[in-house]
Amino acid sequence: MPEDPMKPQEGAGPIAPTEAVKPIAGPAEGDVNVSPETLPVAVKEVAAVEVVPDATTAVPVSLPVPALTPVVASTEPEPSKPVAATIRLEKKHPPAIRWMHWVNFPVLFTMIWSGLLIYWNDSDNAYQHPHAVYRVGVGSLTLVRMFPPWFWKAINAPYRVTEGLGYHFFFMWLFAINGILYVTYLLISGEWRLLVPERRSVRDAIQVTLVDLHLRKGLPPQKKYNGAQRIAYSAVILMGLGSLVTGLSIYKPTQVHWVTTLLGGYEMARWEHFWLTMGFCAFFVVHVVQVVLAGWNNFRSMVSGYEIVPATKATLEEERSAR
Amino acid sequence: MSDGREERKEQEERRKWEKERKDRDDDRDRDWERDGDRERRDSRTVELDAVVRAESGRRTRRSFLVAAAAAEGEYGFYRWIDRSPGDQLIPRPLRKMLDFNAKVARGVFDERGLAPTYPVNKSMELRTNGNYGLKMDLVPESYRLQMVGVENAKRFPQYVDDVTAWEYQYAAKKESGPVEHDTKVAPKDEAKVDPNSDAGAGEGPMMQGGPASTMVGGSGEKKEETKLSPAFEAAFAALKKAQGNKRPRGQEEAGMSDNTLDPGTPGLLLTMDDVTSLPHQELVTEFKCIEGWSQVVHWGGYRLADLIAKYPPEKKTDGSLPKYVYMETPDGDYYCGFSLQACQHPQSLLVTEMAGRPLTQWHGAPIRLHMPIKYGYKQIKRIGLIAYTDMQPDDYWTKLGYDWYAGL
Repeated sequence: MPEDPMKPQEGAGPIAPTEAVKPIAGPAEGDVNVSPETLPVAVKEVAAVEVVPDATTAVPVSLPVPALTPVVASTEPEPSKPVAATIRLEKKHPPAIRWMHWVNFPVLFTMIWSGLLIYWNDSDNAYQHPHAVYRVGVGSLTLVRMFPPWFWKAINAPYRVTEGLGYHFFFMWLFAINGILYVTYLLISGEWRLLVPERRSVRDAIQVTLVDLHLRKGLPPQKKYNGAQRIAYSAVILMGLGSLVTGLSIYKPTQVHWVTTLLGGYEMARWEHFWLTMGFCAFFVVHVVQVVLAGWNNFRSMVSGYEIVPATKATLEEERSAR
Repeated sequence: MSDGREERKEQEERRKWEKERKDRDDDRDRDWERDGDRERRDSRTVELDAVVRAESGRRTRRSFLVAAAAAEGEYGFYRWIDRSPGDQLIPRPLRKMLDFNAKVARGVFDERGLAPTYPVNKSMELRTNGNYGLKMDLVPESYRLQMVGVENAKRFPQYVDDVTAWEYQYAAKKESGPVEHDTKVAPKDEAKVDPNSDAGAGEGPMMQGGPASTMVGGSGEKKEETKLSPAFEAAFAALKKAQGNKRPRGQEEAGMSDNTLDPGTPGLLLTMDDVTSLPHQELVTEFKCIEGWSQVVHWGGYRLADLIAKYPPEKKTDGSLPKYVYMETPDGDYYCGFSLQACQHPQSLLVTEMAGRPLTQWHGAPIRLHMPIKYGYKQIKRIGLIAYTDMQPDDYWTKLGYDWYAGL
């Protein structure tokens, strides 16, 4: 989903623009003599920024100007304005989120790939009952059967069922454990507050989508995620849960038959499992396109955890902690 | 006096003018100072921003190094799985995980769940899939159900010293039946055309009425005569004669079962009457194939649990029951292993009727198994042998890479 953190933010929260951040009583002229080499140290001592929650974010933000000896002494010595960096590092993604995000990528890929190897079994057009479940159609009218022969050939799926089953029933544990840890972390850390859709998210999401489609201008103000992102990322977590539940109901349809029945029966559960997977693929395509459009700064934050943001931008820490 | 006044006035004006000039100069100086200040401040800002960027770069480099190491480890993990030595045709880690999953499933569900049942009008004709052990028609009169490992077997009138000596009679298939393709393994016969060579376009030989890919020789007739040297043929004939001219067992891809009985194994030879004297049961359940299809089927027959109760397993020396049951087709081509508990499940059925009609040969007449707690590949057709054993028995599809447990 779209994300352009470098865009100026409206209503940037409780922190006012740079001027307000300066210490009210700036050191008098000539009092401070800081050479560029000692900058970071000097900044820490001055501790001009009270909003910085920890040392990692305490990258120099503001510092008093070392005034040179004036040629002509002015009658009213002006207090020199503090100098602030226009940018700062925002701790955007905690390490746990980054690890679980990237672990999920190959695991989900393996689940989809091995799922296709299994699914090929039932996709055999040469016989009488092809794609009984996986089709798009109403009643006896079938619009599409997944997938065309060239697709199966291209991914080298035929007759690799045992491999598919073996990998699917191995990586299902990694997928489930990673997902459970992820949700648990969201709940404990308070990160869920940045992710769960809010009341205004739907309207924001529509606006964001229209902007992305170049149908209108002006992104709504956002903190970590905009409305569209909140909805998409929350939905994909629910889809993961859906895959686990439908998967279990297909895996043990006799022992957990009440789950299978709730899902509409065995074949319906298979259908749901399949279309959830198609949903993941659709999510993946949109996600990658949006990440590419959002640019390097945003992508990097999912690797290093930090994003370069305008110094005036409100910190996410407040949103993380209970409001 | 006027001169003095004028002079004062003039001085006053000059002072005023000088002051104005000084103020102007001061202002100019201040402006200059302020401009310089701004310039200096701008250059400091650029420096400070650069510090932020450098910090970001440092963190990014470190993170990408960690990411590269993680990706390397991940690749190694995949490689380790993929290159592990095979355990019954799949890499050992995958096999171990299938066994672990079976343990978890047994621990959590204990195989006691009952499959949902359906009204008869929801049922349909079951697809035919897999004709292993069914290549020829079995002459019904020659059918006996071998039972091995029965407690105090000698007390039964059906006891014989050697169950393997029983001769099943076969006849060429009158009709091949609606035998369909099997996608569980790749076709091995090079000479045969893969019905899927069109990658599913529906133009393969199967659609033109040809044999299914994994069928050996189609409808039971021998397809090819391999030319052998006369000396070899003579030696082979002598060997066959020494073995009682019997067809070798385990002629399908998975080969002969490790649990195939040795000659001279004592046991029971039950007739159909012995089985049909058990209480008759009917069941409408969903049959599920590991290939991904499922059908609601109307089954009729006898509870396996009832047969086991009538012919119970022999207890071990410590008084416990053997853990497993092994089943095999009369020709030993197809075989399955089960836990004793799975066989005692109330829905495990010895099927003699399907869809309200007697079981057909291609569905495994005279007796096949239905077990809704297992995939279809465990529901063996044409059961020739039921043996109690304490070692996990061989299983046809397990040998070809599938899960032994196969529990649903």
